[in-house]
Order: sequence, then structure tokens, then C-alpha cells
Amino acid sequence: MQTITFMLILLPFLGALSCYAIRSAPVRSFIVLSTGCILITCSLLLISYVPFTFSPETVFGLDVHGLIQIPDFILMFAILYYGIKHRSILVIIPAALQIILVIWFEVFMIADHPTTQAFYCDNLSLIMVLIISIVGSIICFQAIPYMKNHEEHLHPATSRQPRFFFVMLFFLGVMNGLVLSNDMTVIHFFFEATTLCSFLLIGHDGTEIAVRNSVRALWMNSIGCLAFIVSLIMIYRNIGSIDMQQVIRTPAGAGLSFLSLSLLCFACFVKSAQFPMQSWLVGAMVAPTPVSALLHSSTMVKVGVYLALRLAPAMQGSFLSPCIAIFGAFTFLAGAALALGQSNGKKVLAYSTISNLGLIFACAGLNTPESMTAAVLLIIFHAVIKAMLFLCVGTIEQHIESRDIEDMRGLYAKMPLTALITVMGVVMMIMPPFGLLLGKWMAMEAAAGNIFVIILAAVGSALTAMYWARWAGTLMSDPFAGIFHLEKQPALTWGALLSLCTGAGILSIAVPWIYRGLFTAAMNLNYAPPYSLKNGILENAYGVFAVLPLCLIAVLGFLQSIWAVRGATQARICPPYLSGIHTAEPRVFLGPMNKLIKAEAGNYYLSNIFGERKLTVWINLAAGMLLTLIVGGAL
Amino acid sequence: MFEKILTKARMLSPWVLHFDCGSCNGCDIEVLACLTPVYDLERFGIINTGNPMHADIFLVTGTVNHRNKQVLRNLYDQIPEPKVVVALGACGLTGGVFREAYNVVGGVDKVIPVDVYVPGCPAKPEAIIDGVVLGLEKFRQKASAMHS
Amino acid sequence: MTGHVLMMIVAGLVAGPLLGGLIAGFDRILTARFQSRIGPPLLQPFYDVIKLFGKEKQVVNVWQAFCANAYLTAASISLVLFFLRSDLLLILFIQAVGAVFLVVGAFSSTSPYSQAGAHRELLQILCYEPLLIFIAVGIYLHTGSFKIEAVYALKQPLLLKLPFLFLVLNFVLTIKLRKSPFDLSTSHHAHQELVKGLLTDYSGPILALTEIAHWYETVLVLGFCSLFWTTNPLGAILLVGITYFVEIWIDNVSARMNWRWMLGYGWAMGITLSLVNLVWLYVR
Repeated sequence: MQTITFMLILLPFLGALSCYAIRSAPVRSFIVLSTGCILITCSLLLISYVPFTFSPETVFGLDVHGLIQIPDFILMFAILYYGIKHRSILVIIPAALQIILVIWFEVFMIADHPTTQAFYCDNLSLIMVLIISIVGSIICFQAIPYMKNHEEHLHPATSRQPRFFFVMLFFLGVMNGLVLSNDMTVIHFFFEATTLCSFLLIGHDGTEIAVRNSVRALWMNSIGCLAFIVSLIMIYRNIGSIDMQQVIRTPAGAGLSFLSLSLLCFACFVKSAQFPMQSWLVGAMVAPTPVSALLHSSTMVKVGVYLALRLAPAMQGSFLSPCIAIFGAFTFLAGAALALGQSNGKKVLAYSTISNLGLIFACAGLNTPESMTAAVLLIIFHAVIKAMLFLCVGTIEQHIESRDIEDMRGLYAKMPLTALITVMGVVMMIMPPFGLLLGKWMAMEAAAGNIFVIILAAVGSALTAMYWARWAGTLMSDPFAGIFHLEKQPALTWGALLSLCTGAGILSIAVPWIYRGLFTAAMNLNYAPPYSLKNGILENAYGVFAVLPLCLIAVLGFLQSIWAVRGATQARICPPYLSGIHTAEPRVFLGPMNKLIKAEAGNYYLSNIFGERKLTVWINLAAGMLLTLIVGGAL
Repeated sequence: MFEKILTKARMLSPWVLHFDCGSCNGCDIEVLACLTPVYDLERFGIINTGNPMHADIFLVTGTVNHRNKQVLRNLYDQIPEPKVVVALGACGLTGGVFREAYNVVGGVDKVIPVDVYVPGCPAKPEAIIDGVVLGLEKFRQKASAMHS
Repeated sequence: MTGHVLMMIVAGLVAGPLLGGLIAGFDRILTARFQSRIGPPLLQPFYDVIKLFGKEKQVVNVWQAFCANAYLTAASISLVLFFLRSDLLLILFIQAVGAVFLVVGAFSSTSPYSQAGAHRELLQILCYEPLLIFIAVGIYLHTGSFKIEAVYALKQPLLLKLPFLFLVLNFVLTIKLRKSPFDLSTSHHAHQELVKGLLTDYSGPILALTEIAHWYETVLVLGFCSLFWTTNPLGAILLVGITYFVEIWIDNVSARMNWRWMLGYGWAMGITLSLVNLVWLYVR
């Protein structure tokens, strides 16, 4: 168990270093593949040990706490260095303040380190480890062909791939460390390390806009880290412990000050790019797509919600909890509204990520067993499906050289399988019986008692359905006869896309078992299993969701519909109605003077209502006010 | 048994696509008059669809010219089988007073096969309804031919 | 128990097309009478659908067949779940699946008429979906459960507790039944600026499937309507009858509005009315 934990954390570092040191493409691919495979195996092996907690006296003869302290300072000085290098006062100030605070904290406050359990793993951590190790590794695999293609396209003077894979693998280790640690100073260290990884990867292409956006991500997250360390100091002063498990056992108000918790929540909001700090995530879309898939949808931004879920027991019954619920629900709605106004595929994904994270925060804030179940399901399915959608968009982008939804019109004719997988991803985002919708359904039923949350969530959910359906429809839009020629893609790309797609499908069927697993080992304090499980039907006093029967019906319906498609391939293919003046060319009609004219039918993006320019200011204002309420109310 | 029901349903639900190839609108006004409360075509299940994909009966008025003959052809092709074409008015039948004009092809039957001819300038609503009902008989024959 | 469940499943599957078709026929006669016409026979919708099944199979894109089938499947499951007195939100979500598939099918054609129709339909979904959820939440706040079962256990009609939400439901009904002023995406009447909107490129047997699915949906929303008077079957029938009559009346006296109006008015009115009703339930 200890070995597995160390493997999960340290092996990626080793892989990262060797990627950086050995500058040969085949060797690098081999290292990435083998590291990924070992990580996946280790994470699966970990399942049987959960829950556990341990604290090694020494690692390789060194004290664990000391082992973290040195890199912690290196890390903070690195951020300071980048701040000075890019002449960003916004990075320098929080970084410098942080260094001062950490020195003060480490040297003067906790001179003799209190006894803490260094590692702690329960079902929540396990789920995060599984997501990081499995989804993360799959994304890294897909990055191999992607980055090769990427560099062929950009022609950099020297290959930047060693650096890229160094950071990617390094990041996997950091994430595993973050979710398995229990010592809050260690968590803070990893928290900061993810910020640096994110900064390095956003700026990977080195273009002006990439650098600008990466610096923005750095300063915003530095402020988050600063809030984290301030809150850490306050928590220590309050209860004299930096052990996460002890912290959450202390109810808010009794010993633990509200301000410390609300600051910690603020740090979570920044990391999960909640409004009004969303601009760094939207800007981060300039990074190569595997980065967006790994950091900015499936893992790193989940750190915020993960910590919020961890802290939820401490907030139970306090006013903070409903505040976070409303804030999260507001973000859910606002993110969906902004996604609706976008035609840039990656930005739609970014806003939808923000929106879904908002919903998870809302669940954490509602703080009932039902909402916690919903939150965990949302985390799992969002990670898998969103990673898949990002990889799809990346693949599409390399093929058609655009990430605009309008340019994906009729993509099915050009890249049938990729288009189908994308559509499948969209379907899994919004439709029952798939897990994400199940999570949303649980969240809504849990929120029904809170009028503000449910109204925000209901409107947000309708907006969500609209922008996804529009995208799926656009992909399939073309006259099509039913014989498709499979497009050529590297095996690793197909492997990544197909495994994520089937994985999400199988997980949806497995929801009853996931649910059972979640609660057998007492997922968390104060939460009893909310649903009774019979014949694959989840039911409680006020709701019933027949997971397995619905899956069965969905499979039958799907097969029947596919059968209908088979029948339709024999049908007469007829050109779409174009007032009788259509030509052999799709979408082209015969205009005046026998000229050929293309019929344009663009999507509604409603940018007058939901445009970024129109809405962002107001949303930021509202979110800022809500945040002030949360932090200010805690004073 | 099913065949019988299907035939009955077909006779009771003819959906009409009305296309004006370039008439003086006299016939078109009469066609629309059929939908008014006085004649109330919907009594017979007739609906004016305006979309070839949904139509059973193709009601064509006006002279066919070189510009619109392709449109006529296209619309005809987009109507799923079984289908019936009814040509309306003097112009639809032969090209009418315009038949000698340099740009005129002639009647509808120069381009697509016509099943029922309804004369008149313009054709009276009663005549149009009569033509559609006659078309239905043709429709039944075509449908049974399609099945056998 | 199992026998009862099976019976309800069959009842739901049969009631959809049967009731839905009759309602549609009744609707057409009534509409004709409003316009001083005689109108078609009562069974006309059945003739139409049977005829469509007998037409040649013709598609613009093979995915239309997939989408129409998925629409029908989702619509029928949602009605069956309604008959099984299942979870309201679940029914709403499954019904939304059908609606989304219909839209995706229309998107698969490149015709601008289908595309514009599909977008308008999406806007309609956007408009009514939250309102339906509010109604479910209202029912939850009153009965303490999302299960329809709980509504039938009530001693007093729901209408007395959720009067404003009933108005909201009528609003949704107008959109869902494709009646003016909200027949934006497609309707049964001549609709020349959009040809047939969303349904333009569906034809023959595939069009028939969408028609049947629409009947299922009609019965489902009228079923929601009947939930507001569950204490007495006669009351339920009367309530649904009056509501439907009013719907047809509104259809005949109003012109079609644009989507901006629909979304603005729908959300402003719908959310306000829901909020008033929900707050009232909440405070009480």
C-alpha cells in the first residue's frame, strides 16, 4: 500500500525527468506509455486498500515534511522568477507575500511540527486518483501523436516536446500527491505546483497571446494560493492542527473560524475558475488540446471541487454552506449562458467546464448525502466525457484547421468516426441514462428545497441542453447516404477516444455499483447512504431513478434506431428542400442568371443576449458580489 | 386487410403541393378559394402542404418556361411515390395564350407526366375539387401498381 | 404487482397513439368550427399517419431515421413512466431526449428551412424546459416527493395549491402543442415562411413516426395537466377538457410571435409566476 502510494506520486516524476533528459522521440514515447500503464495498474491496485491512512517516518532516509519544504521554496521562488521575467506585478506581489507568509509560518509558528497523518485515502481520494491516473494517462498517450503533428505544423526551431512531456508527467505526480496528502502544508505545496504546471503548459507555444494568457493564469492562481496559505495560518491558530481530517472534524464556528474556511473556498473557486476568476481558464484554451483535456477539464480544475467536497462536513449547518450552493448554482447558469453565446468549440467546452464545476460546488454547498453522491458522480463523468470531447476537438482541429463550430458543419462526411464519438460525448453530457445526467438529476432533487438554487439550476440546465444539441446537430449536418470511409488517425488517438467513450458508457451502466462502493466504506463523515438500491434502481423517499432498466431500454432503443438507419440506407436519397432550385452540390442553389449560390444557414448564437462582451461584465459583477457576501459574511 | 385500410387511408388523406409555374395568379386564387369556408377542402382530408416531401398530389398552374422547368422537375422528383400530377387551367394544360412566346416550353406535360387535366381560365374551384377527386382514383391505381 | 406494472406499460404504449390521435382529430374539427368550416372526420389524423406509412421511403440523411426512431422511443418511454407514476424529473429529462433528437434530425438536413426550424425548436425547448422543472419543484414542495404517486395520494386537488404554476403549465402547453402564438418551429397550418420548419425534410414513414411521437407528447403534457385535479376523475377530465379548449381558442385568436418575444415573455412571466407560487409554498 505504501509502495503503491509512493509509486503513484514519485513514478511520474521519474518519467518526467527521463523524458526531459533523453531527447529521442521513440524513447520518449516508450517512457510515456510505460509510465502511464504502470500508473493505471497502480491506481487499480489501490482500490482494494481503501480507506487507509499512514504516515511514514522517513522516505529514503529523509523526513517527509522536510522533503516537501525545500521544493516548496524552490517552487515559490520559481513563480517569483517568472513574475519578474514577465514583469507582472500581479504575480510578484502575491508570490512575494506568499514566501514571507510561508517562512513566517514554517519557522516561527510551527517550529516543532505537529504530528499529522501524512497520507490519507478514502473513496473520494480514490476516485480522484483513478481519474488522474487513468484518464490522465490516456490523455498523455493521445498527446504523443498530437504533439508530433502539432510541431510539424508549427516548425519550432528546437523541439519543445521534452519540456512538454516533462511537465505533463510531472503534473500527474503532483495531482496524485495532492489528493492523497492529508497534511495541509503538503496540499498547499502541490496546489501551488499545479499552478506552475498550468502556467508552463499554457505558455507552451510561446506565442504572444499564449504568454499573456499564461501570465494571467499565474497571477490569478497565485492569489488563490495566497488565500490558501492565509487560511492555513488561521486554521492553525484556531485549532493548532494542519491535519485535514482533524480540520473537517471541527465544525465551523466551533473553534474553526468562518473566515479561514471561506478563504479556503475562495482558493478552491480560483482553482476551479469560477466567476469572476473564469478568464484564466478561457484564456488557457490557447494551449495544445491535450493540456486543455488534462489540466483544464478533467483533473486540475477538479482540485477546487475536490477540496470543497473534503471541507463540506466542516461547513455543515453553517451559513457558508448555502452561500456556496447559491454561488455554485449561479456559476452553473452563467457558464451555460456564456457557452450558448460561443461558436468557438474549445471555448464552449471551457465555459461548459466552468458551468459543471459550478454545479458540483452547488452540490458541495447543499451538503446533503444526496448532493454529495451527485457531486461525486458529476466529478467522475465530467472528467471522462469532457476529456474525450477535448481530445475530439483537438483531433478535429488538426484535421480541418479550425475550432469553430460553424466550420464543423457536415463533419460527419469528412471524419465520420470522430464526429460520431463527439456526438456520443454530447449525448452523454445531456441525456439519460448516462451518468452526468443522473448526477444532474440527483443534484436537482437535492436542491429542490432551496428555491434560489433550483431556479438557477433549472434555467442553466435548459441552456446546457441547447448549446450541446446545437453542436451535435451541426456535426451531423450534411446530405449523407450511409456508406462511410473511415478517416485515418494514429492508433493512439483512436485508442484514447474509443476507450474514453466506451469507458463512459460502461461507467454509466455501472452507476449502481459505483454508488454501493461509494457508501460501503463510509465515504465521509455525517453522510448516510441516501438511496436504497434494488434491481439497479436508485430510490429514496422523494425520487426514483431506474438506472439499469433505463440503460436496458436505451440500449434496445439504440439498436432499434440503428436498425432503422440500416433500413434507411436502402431508401431513396433525396436532396434537401431548397424551394425546388437545388443543384447536385449540397447547399448550393441556382440563383438569378443561372448563377450558383450557396445557401447559408448559420447557427443561432444569440450573441446579442448571451455574447461574451455583453454578459461577462454583469456576470463578473454579480459573482463578485456573491463572493464578497461569502467572504465578508464570514468576518 | 392491411392493404384495404391503407388504400382507404390514402383516399382520405391527399396532401397537396401547389406550384405556380408563372400563371396570372387567376388559378392560384381559385386554388386558395378551395381552402376557404365556402368549399372547405379539409373536409376531404386535403391539406395544402407547401412542401414536396410531404405531398401526394402535385397541383400545377401556369405556363412552363425554360427558367422554371427544372424547378418543376425537381419538385416532382422530391415527392415520394405514389404521386399524382394535376395540371390546372389553360396555361397549365397547353401554355395558354403564352404558348407562342419565345421563352415558353408549353404545358406541364412537356416536363413531367400529368394525370389529370383541369381546363378553365381560370379553373373554377368546383372543377379543381373535381380534378383532385379524379386524381385520387389515379392515385389508387398507382398505389396498387406500386405494391404489385 | 408485476402484472399491474405490465398492464400500465401496455396501457401507456397504447394510450399514446390512440388518445393522441383522437385528440388531434378533435382539435382539427374544433379549429375548423372556429373558422366556420366543417373540418375533417374525427379519425383524420389516423388516416394521415397510415397513409404516410404507405409512402415511399425517402430520406435526406440516414440519421433522420435514427433520430425519428429515438424521438418516438423517448416519447413513448416518458408516457409509460407517467403511467407507472414514476419520478417527475426523470420523465421530463426523457421527454427532453426525444425533443433533442427531433432537432438533431432536422439539423442533419442542410436545408435552411430545417435549420431555422431546428433552431426555433431549440429556443422553444429552452423556453419551456425550466418552466416544467419549476412545476415539478412546486409539486415537490407541496407533496414532499417528486413521484407522481404522491400527487395521487393527495386529499385536495393540486390546483388549489399551485394556481400560478397551472398557468405556467398552460404556457408550456401552448408551446408543446405547437399552437399560436408559439408555433414557431412547425405547425399543422400553412406555414409558408418556413415551409414546414423542423419537419420539412422528414417524409413518408419517418414523418409518420414523428407524428406518433408528437401524440405521445401531447398525451403526456395533458397528463401533467390532469395532475392538478387528481381527487376526482371527472374533475380531471373537465380540467383537461377546458384547458384544451382554451388552447385551441388561443391558437385561433392569436398571431405567431417571434422567438425573442417568446423567450422574453415566457421567462419573465413564467419565472415570476413560478417564483410567486414557490415562495408561497415555501413560506407556508
